[in-house]
Amino acid sequence: MSDDAGMAHLDCYLEQVRRNLKSLPKSEVEEIAAELRSHVLDRVEGAPTPHRVEEAIAALGNPREVARLNLTERVAVELERDRSPLTVLRGIARLAGLSLYGFFAGLVSFTGYVLAAGFLITAVSKLVSRTHAGLWRWPDGKGGYGFVFGVTNHPGARELLGWWLVPVSLAAALLLGWLTWRFGIFSVRHMRRVAQRGRA
Amino acid sequence: MNGRHENPPDELAKWEVQVRKGGLGLAVLAVLWPERLYGLEILRRLESQAGMSIPEGTIYPLLSRMKADGLVDSEWVEAEAGHPRKYYSLTDPGRRRVREMAHSWRAFAKGLERLLGPLEGDLS
Repeated sequence: MSDDAGMAHLDCYLEQVRRNLKSLPKSEVEEIAAELRSHVLDRVEGAPTPHRVEEAIAALGNPREVARLNLTERVAVELERDRSPLTVLRGIARLAGLSLYGFFAGLVSFTGYVLAAGFLITAVSKLVSRTHAGLWRWPDGKGGYGFVFGVTNHPGARELLGWWLVPVSLAAALLLGWLTWRFGIFSVRHMRRVAQRGRA
Repeated sequence: MNGRHENPPDELAKWEVQVRKGGLGLAVLAVLWPERLYGLEILRRLESQAGMSIPEGTIYPLLSRMKADGLVDSEWVEAEAGHPRKYYSLTDPGRRRVREMAHSWRAFAKGLERLLGPLEGDLS
């Protein structure tokens, strides 16, 4: 009965680890959980009483820490092999649920890539439809001006950049995309360092 | 006053952690040199043979990275204990790597020993 309680405690712990690893493929999650289970069973040496299981679990670390260590290490390995923006973004998305910083990094990366895509679309739109894409200005009726970068049908709007919009937008898209990509790589490394420091 | 100078034991502990981290990769590969081992065995041998006590949760991410780098291989084996165990063994590139790392480590340690020579009397 006591051993059953110990095993139930272990199953509960592994379930929490799985929950924190849900951004990984299922096969990898199960592999990690199976190895942790094996580790705890080896440590309790055939007597999985609640007390011994608790001791073994405490030595491994809380489920969040264990998941964080495994996840950041896997994402870092992926990035060492392939640093394409898509892989970096996927890595950041996997780490987004792990911590406040992960969420912040996810938000910044998503926003950065969306803005970069916006600049790219603006440049292409200018080539396709000169009259609608640009840096537009119009009098707001209170002595000032309203501005919009992109496409507008605002009456009285005047375009300021002309064909310069194309190179300016392309440069902004490239710069923003590059900065977001570098920030993503930095964030993965940073989160890995923090996870390791937490268990040093 | 600078906090760094107020608590030197903390600084020493940090330095020891860094030294341990630096040697951990070599230690794990070296412990696998004679035979395949499972996670807890690796931890126990590191502790008993090298006095290296590392947080248990850190060994599996490290082994996973070594596997991704092709330095170790792993296989699940049905153990007599009644549950399967994941055993790790060195691959050929892993054996080459541990030889190279051991060579570098020895050269580094020898140089450091020479530098520490004048302290010999004070250390005993």
